Amino acid sequence: MSKIIITAIGKDRPGIVSSVARVLFQLGCNIENVSQTILQSEFAGIYIVSVPDGTDFETFSEQFREAFGEVGLHVHIESMETELPHVEPSGEHFIITTIGPDSKGLVYDISTVIAEAGVNIINLTAVFEGGDNPEKNIMVYEVLVPDSVDRHILSGTLKEKAASLKLALTFQHKNIFDTVNRI
Amino acid sequence: MLSESELISTVEMLKYEHLDVRTVTLGINLFDCASHDLEVFKANLHKKITRLAGPLVETCNTIGDKYGIEVVNKRISISPIGVVAAPFNSAQMVEIAKTLNDIAVEVGVDFIGGFSALVEKGIANGDRALIEAIPEALTQTDRICASVNVGSTRAGINMDAILLMANAIKRGAALTADKDGLAVAKLCVFCNIPQDVPFMAGAYLGTGEADAVINVGVSGPGVVKRAIDRAVESGSSLGLGDIAEVIKRTACKVTRVGELIGREVAQALDIPFGVVDLSLAPTPTVGDSVGEIFQSMGLTSIGHPGSTAALAMLNDAVKKGGAFASSHVGGLSGAFIPVSEDLNIEEACRNGSLNIEKLEAMTCVCSVGLDMVAIPGATSEETIAGIIADEMAIGMINNKTTACRLIPVPGKAAGDNAHFGGLLGHATIIDVKNCEGQNGFVRHGGRIPAPIHSLKN
Repeated sequence: MSKIIITAIGKDRPGIVSSVARVLFQLGCNIENVSQTILQSEFAGIYIVSVPDGTDFETFSEQFREAFGEVGLHVHIESMETELPHVEPSGEHFIITTIGPDSKGLVYDISTVIAEAGVNIINLTAVFEGGDNPEKNIMVYEVLVPDSVDRHILSGTLKEKAASLKLALTFQHKNIFDTVNRI
Repeated sequence: MLSESELISTVEMLKYEHLDVRTVTLGINLFDCASHDLEVFKANLHKKITRLAGPLVETCNTIGDKYGIEVVNKRISISPIGVVAAPFNSAQMVEIAKTLNDIAVEVGVDFIGGFSALVEKGIANGDRALIEAIPEALTQTDRICASVNVGSTRAGINMDAILLMANAIKRGAALTADKDGLAVAKLCVFCNIPQDVPFMAGAYLGTGEADAVINVGVSGPGVVKRAIDRAVESGSSLGLGDIAEVIKRTACKVTRVGELIGREVAQALDIPFGVVDLSLAPTPTVGDSVGEIFQSMGLTSIGHPGSTAALAMLNDAVKKGGAFASSHVGGLSGAFIPVSEDLNIEEACRNGSLNIEKLEAMTCVCSVGLDMVAIPGATSEETIAGIIADEMAIGMINNKTTACRLIPVPGKAAGDNAHFGGLLGHATIIDVKNCEGQNGFVRHGGRIPAPIHSLKN
């Protein structure tokens, strides 16, 4: 069975998830994975669905758009390569946090250091609202550090970069957060 | 994914509230090193301790770095030397202490604890030689800690041993008069000493323990204080039950950190994991104080009326939270109130809010005892013996650990200042009622019988 990825982005309001799910149901699709988030007032959802055998991508795409009546929601539909199973490279999950004043280019600067080390960002949350409250000016990266990467060098480079940006940066194995917060 | 508040609270605990792993202590059984030949014994000690502890410091640093949490001290606890080195005399005991000190330097640990004797019921030859050697041994070394257990709920209190210890304390202080009696800041006298304490000066490895074991001491008074402050600042009206709940939850988180680090160090060294000692151990650093927790709970100062009740609640809440967080909790596990090591408690002694009698009362409900208390250098042996006997009696009757770490500071009087340095801090010398003439009670010697275990009132 082939798979399709659908992303929907737009102004948040009640009923978006229901509308997408209704159309998918009507077209005989099965939702395998879905993740949604709301940033300020904007909704973003990403769906991986399996479609019935023999479904033509172009036809499916047209049928979906016809049946989907939500105004102001941008929908992107793409077929998904399913031949190769997803294999996470071996490594360990670390959490990088930065706390400090907002300025232009912070995400660019930090994520570039991470990318140059060949490390993948698994999850990223960033909030910049100004003021002194640390909870309002933070970046949190969850990264998968492959075994081949020297995390001491990565940690050192990140801390140097953060210092130049007046940010306090921590680089810690994810287990410590799980251990402290989850029973 | 963890929530932002979970992430931030954890980062704050570690980075700004002084949460650290106070010590990873490697316990090493030394009974298989025993020999009647001193040179052979010393060689055996060196061989076994360096083999097991060689990678300890580096392993702790690597794992601490991985989790972004500092392992402040790396230590070793050993089988009681009074037993392991029983054939030797006191001069040879001093040699053993110096050998252990050299080994501590070689493997890079901060302290080796276990220059110890267990004499609650009687004093064997090795114990007597060890106690005799303590003043000289602690003067000639800087990384060795000594402890002597002089009482227990099962055996009673050995007053002969207390008198010997009072004498040893006076001699040790005199030998290090130029350092305000520093030698005896590394000496604890215990009742009901636990076999698995990772904290100094009381750490030793009990005879019922494995060949080698990793015990961990976590700390975090600053984290508890901030948690109470946040709860109070939130504006909701808090009962004491609510504050106890905040302490309990916080202690649980703190203990989980210790358990994680301890297990990982143990795994890396291929040594069994023993216990987490979840004590609130202060350091002489702003924001790392047990005394400040009393103020967060609403008292004007530790030592003022209400302090014993507050400490009882704090100590119990810490134990409850910790016991839930780890399946193996041991050691002392509670709140420490070492005077010189806690800026706030030291200040309370200096300004008269806290005196030795109130400290003694508070030790009935805390986890250790009269800890790091600087007393006038002129305090007599009888008085020191009396103070120790009182403290041991509290432990014996209440079936709990109590200890004394008293420093009679040579040439100094009540109100003067004593400096010990580093984590040992500094203290204003506290006034004590010095016995004039003979204290016949302690000079009787012998043993105070073990208490009855029924008719509890």
